[in-house]
Amino acid sequence: MPSARGDPLRILLVEDDAETAAYVARGLEEAGHVVDRAADGQDGLFLATGGGHEVMVVDRMLPRLDGLSMVRAARAAGIMTPVIFLTARAGVGDRVEGLEAGADDYLAKPFAFAELLARINALARRPPLQQEVTVLRVADLEMDLIRRSVTRAGKRIDLQPREFRLLEYLMRREGQVVTRTMLLEGVWDFHFDPRTSVVETHISRLRGKVDKGFERELIHTVRGAGYVIRADG
Amino acid sequence: MAEAHPRWVFARTTAFRVTLLHLLLTLAGTSLVGGVAWWSTAGFAARQAAQEIERGMGVLLQSGAMSGPRGIALSIEARLAADRSGVEFYLLAAPDGQRIAGNLSGVPQGPGWHEGTARLAEGAEAPVMMLATPLPGGGALVVGRDLSAVRALEQRLLSGAMWVGGAVLLLGLAGGLLIGRGVAKRAAAMEAALAAVQAGALDRRLAVGSGGDEFDRLAARINATLDRLQSLMAALREVTDDIAHDLRTPLTRLRQRLDTAAQAPTPAAIAAAQGEADALLDIFAALLRIAQVESGTQRAGFTRVDLSAIAESVAEVYAPAAEERGQTLATDIAPGVTLTGDPALLTQMLANLVENAVRHGREAGRVALAVTGEGVTVTDDGPGIPQAERERVFRRFHRLDAARSTPGSGLGLALVRAVAELHGMSVMLEDASPGLRVRVWLHGEPGIRAN
Repeated sequence: MPSARGDPLRILLVEDDAETAAYVARGLEEAGHVVDRAADGQDGLFLATGGGHEVMVVDRMLPRLDGLSMVRAARAAGIMTPVIFLTARAGVGDRVEGLEAGADDYLAKPFAFAELLARINALARRPPLQQEVTVLRVADLEMDLIRRSVTRAGKRIDLQPREFRLLEYLMRREGQVVTRTMLLEGVWDFHFDPRTSVVETHISRLRGKVDKGFERELIHTVRGAGYVIRADG
Repeated sequence: MAEAHPRWVFARTTAFRVTLLHLLLTLAGTSLVGGVAWWSTAGFAARQAAQEIERGMGVLLQSGAMSGPRGIALSIEARLAADRSGVEFYLLAAPDGQRIAGNLSGVPQGPGWHEGTARLAEGAEAPVMMLATPLPGGGALVVGRDLSAVRALEQRLLSGAMWVGGAVLLLGLAGGLLIGRGVAKRAAAMEAALAAVQAGALDRRLAVGSGGDEFDRLAARINATLDRLQSLMAALREVTDDIAHDLRTPLTRLRQRLDTAAQAPTPAAIAAAQGEADALLDIFAALLRIAQVESGTQRAGFTRVDLSAIAESVAEVYAPAAEERGQTLATDIAPGVTLTGDPALLTQMLANLVENAVRHGREAGRVALAVTGEGVTVTDDGPGIPQAERERVFRRFHRLDAARSTPGSGLGLALVRAVAELHGMSVMLEDASPGLRVRVWLHGEPGIRAN
């Protein structure tokens, strides 16, 4: 059962570089989470089989048992805890390979800590797939996924298909910080970082349609991290 | 030592070994011819003499069988009288060794064939071949032939063979040396040229003759290989130089920002330093990606890709950015254009092209993205790229002087070309007067197809 928003998560961190591990663990602990640490794939697999983690953060290159094999073994043993791979190799093929081994997300080093935190939250609070919702609601903003229509305070908002997907992505993660790269990957399938601030322009256009003329803003910018849609301030 | 005179190293050369082998074979052939000549002349004469001896012996033994030793003696006398050239020798000896008849002075040791010098009855000596047979009643019969003529023939043949052999040896050696010297000289010239290349004179090339023989072909092939190596090395050096040079600027800026932050560690100063570090990391990521694409390993993961859909998506992503600059992003995308490739890389390639067009296009101008069965065209109405610069913009870090003041790593087009080449496409820059037109197209190879 995913924990509710703000609840501490139990996270397994498998990383052999002591400095990176300490940096990530300190950040996660400051964010209120509990971190179990392993420095190689075998210890990682051992801790993973113990269960009780909401998310695993696994480095691709590990001594004794590499990250890819570790995740494959964990999946084969029936451990379905969401996994984020960390990798120094940013190759496109590597990402596909990682996802095929059973990882849920993939983050290339170096990364901003806010990026990792946002992705951990997104994975840990992902609703179970079988509970398919047909209507998303944030305050008075309502999205009908079947009729593909959006209304705010009963007033119809016209969105282009990609704007609809952008808003849907945000609304499905209500209250969670969503980073620029998460949006690039999730909404546009861009697995690289464009130089032009395309995400910012799209968000500002979406704001123009969703928030403009309403007293309360729903789409917020989180400095140094990304965006969040939420009802309260 | 490497410059030792060819004479000293000649014995180790292939030319020498070939010459030696050739010489041995020629000598063997000459010896064979000599042997046959010997066998059919001197050998023939000796065999003939032996036959005549056997025949004579047979006749004499027959007269002995009919009329006893007395008959043999008479026959010998008659034969000697008839032999005018004096080449026949006979001896009939009594059991005690005493000569009964004939012109030989003594019986050779033991029965059978004998060759050597025989003493004649009148005291002279001659080279002879003899057959001695013991007689039934004791005593012995010896029949011989003079071999002087045979010996003289043998002598002449032997001296002739010596002369011929010597001449063959001399001519063969001289010819071999001459050919070997020529080969060795050409090989040495090639070796010297290659040694110069090895020592750093990368533009040295081997001399290629007009003969078109194997040496010329080898030299031409080596020259082509050297050309390729030289251009690869030049490219590598250029890249390394570019990287070293172009990373110095952002690293210097990072250093300055860190200095500033060290004096007054405000959040803004630290954020600025972080920004510089991020920019550096981005450059490295782009370089790594280009290198990875150029290595071609990505081909393993190729799938069927809908280029039209990617183009639509890219156009949609950049439409707001173009709008902010007052530009129109016009699209003319034929549906269902597919090819075998890497979707993520093709997306990035199109994104880079459209991004460049939006950034460099005229404000309030027009950017056009077109996709057809032949490929992709992206057109802007900006300042364009001068003809002379068009090839160089594909190099890593190359940025037009006009673009130096605007941000960007200068790696975008390098990646575009790497991705295009990975997919068997080529990139062409054209003058859209005004502006730049970039065409990414396939040269008639299968893979891109409009349905």
